[in-house]
Amino acid sequence: MTSRGSGVLWLGVAIVAGFALVGVLAGVLAPYDPHAIAGPSLARPGGDHLLGTNDSGQDILSQLIWGARSSGIVALLSASLAVTVGVLIGASAGLRRGLVDVVAMRVTDVFLAVPALPLLILIVALAGPSRSTVVIVIALAAWPSIARIVRSQTLTIARRGYVDAARGFGARPLYVIRRHLLPAVAPLIAANFVYWAATAVLLQSGLAFLGLSDPTEVSWGGVLSRALEHQGVYATSQWVSGVLPPGLAITLAALGLAFIGLGLEPRSNPRLERVR
Amino acid sequence: MPSVRARRGLIASYALVVLVLVTLNFALPRALPGQPIETLSDPRSASFVGDLASRVSLEAYYGLDRPLVSQYGSYMADLATADLGSSIRYHRPVASVIGDRIGWTLLLVGTGLGIATAAGMLAGVHSGWRRGRRTDRRLLTLVVGLDNVPSFFLASILAYVFAVRLGWFPLYGARTPFAAESLHPLRQVADVAHHLVLPASVLALQFVALQYLVMRASMVGELGSDHLVLGRLKGLGERVLKYRYAARNALLPAVTVVALQLPLAVTAAIFVEAVFAYPGIGRLMFESVGDRDYPLMQGCFLVLSLTVVCANLLADLLVRRLDPRTAA
Repeated sequence: MTSRGSGVLWLGVAIVAGFALVGVLAGVLAPYDPHAIAGPSLARPGGDHLLGTNDSGQDILSQLIWGARSSGIVALLSASLAVTVGVLIGASAGLRRGLVDVVAMRVTDVFLAVPALPLLILIVALAGPSRSTVVIVIALAAWPSIARIVRSQTLTIARRGYVDAARGFGARPLYVIRRHLLPAVAPLIAANFVYWAATAVLLQSGLAFLGLSDPTEVSWGGVLSRALEHQGVYATSQWVSGVLPPGLAITLAALGLAFIGLGLEPRSNPRLERVR
Repeated sequence: MPSVRARRGLIASYALVVLVLVTLNFALPRALPGQPIETLSDPRSASFVGDLASRVSLEAYYGLDRPLVSQYGSYMADLATADLGSSIRYHRPVASVIGDRIGWTLLLVGTGLGIATAAGMLAGVHSGWRRGRRTDRRLLTLVVGLDNVPSFFLASILAYVFAVRLGWFPLYGARTPFAAESLHPLRQVADVAHHLVLPASVLALQFVALQYLVMRASMVGELGSDHLVLGRLKGLGERVLKYRYAARNALLPAVTVVALQLPLAVTAAIFVEAVFAYPGIGRLMFESVGDRDYPLMQGCFLVLSLTVVCANLLADLLVRRLDPRTAA
């Protein structure tokens, strides 16, 4: 039972660790400054520039290496923020019940019914595409579903005898959350964290593809959209050097995270194995 | 009838969602940093209006000097008459610009999601009926894999391979420019279909796998059920058992999957239309971001999200129709 899930899990961990390493060591690994004009415009891949240069002569490989850092930071921050907010709201709705529960669940229902991307585009376009805006906006899209899942899990746990007993001894809600609830929902939280980190990578690059990224920051989606916007993208080497590598990087990073999630699944939901 | 009350409750909760969307559309530009007429009132802006009196009269012209409640009131009144303001780039009412484009998006999303649903369901019914063990795991991997390819990347790969390298399909647009009007009506239809193949394929590829998996799983779940055993004992034919008995009950999750995928399909449509320069509302929203055409951007947001919410309401009503138990 463990062996099947573990293979996927470790594959995912290896991929994500690889990207994390590249992101951390970006300053050492990148052959050029990602913003500097490092060579001729539209150089073909090979030679001095392994993946060629873009239309203003910036080295694409260096931009991809720095893009790993940017994606990593956004994924980490937005997934953490989303999980924190989602768990707090979901747990308090599940524990307090009553009006808090009704209001919180109505709000999550409304948010779940709204298609995320158009709203994200509108907010980022209005507020200005800084990194913190992108992080907040991705967390905004993520928290409702996390809150829902945590709430339903909380409801089943709060009914158990040991929680009643703890309350009977005068335990405060925060103590119950920390001592009984969090350990019980931890695998669920981990799976959600990973899922939303993957989604954050995709959303960030998607927003950057639409032109909604910090212009001073290098990102995979930005590299890709710049190459695609170039007039001769399909006629020059720009597609092979500017679209394919960042696209693969985004896919691989998101896939690595998804693999971790898939590997965690049997642990967070043991019933799944039995069904199969 | 109790189901009428349940349906009313359902519609009421969707009405709440619509109200929130409409209010968000009003509130966001006012709540987020940057005044609505900052380009005119900010001294650093190139189009700064120096004269105080004309600035005040401009504010009055746009109604920005009135209290928020009164602004909200006239916003809602405008909305009731489908007045979404005027596009900065097109110098036309936003509603009419969107009206020109939305048909293409409906065609694209309808075709892509329709093909994905039909193909996924048929394949799911088929392979669930004769369940093998292996395919399941592999397909789950494929679903996860396709889920994590960004739509704009998948679209660009298809464009590169099938339009640029092989030259089988046109690279962009929804119809051949200039030639379109002079063609025979039937050839016009063929022209539109030819342009639709690649963009719709992106959507179909991304959405077929989940539909297949869900249909297959619920089909397998039906296999051992009592009514199927009874049908078999009665001597009913294989086809009747497969489609009328098993598939009918397995249909329910499939409808839910369509409803779930619709917002995702709209998201994907924005990217796909951007890559293929497809003249739908997603492309329009993409361009409005580049042009900083805020009224148009807001209009696109409102129309896109309202469409999704309405479609979800329809799906919910349909599920109730198919399964009377959920209406109770």
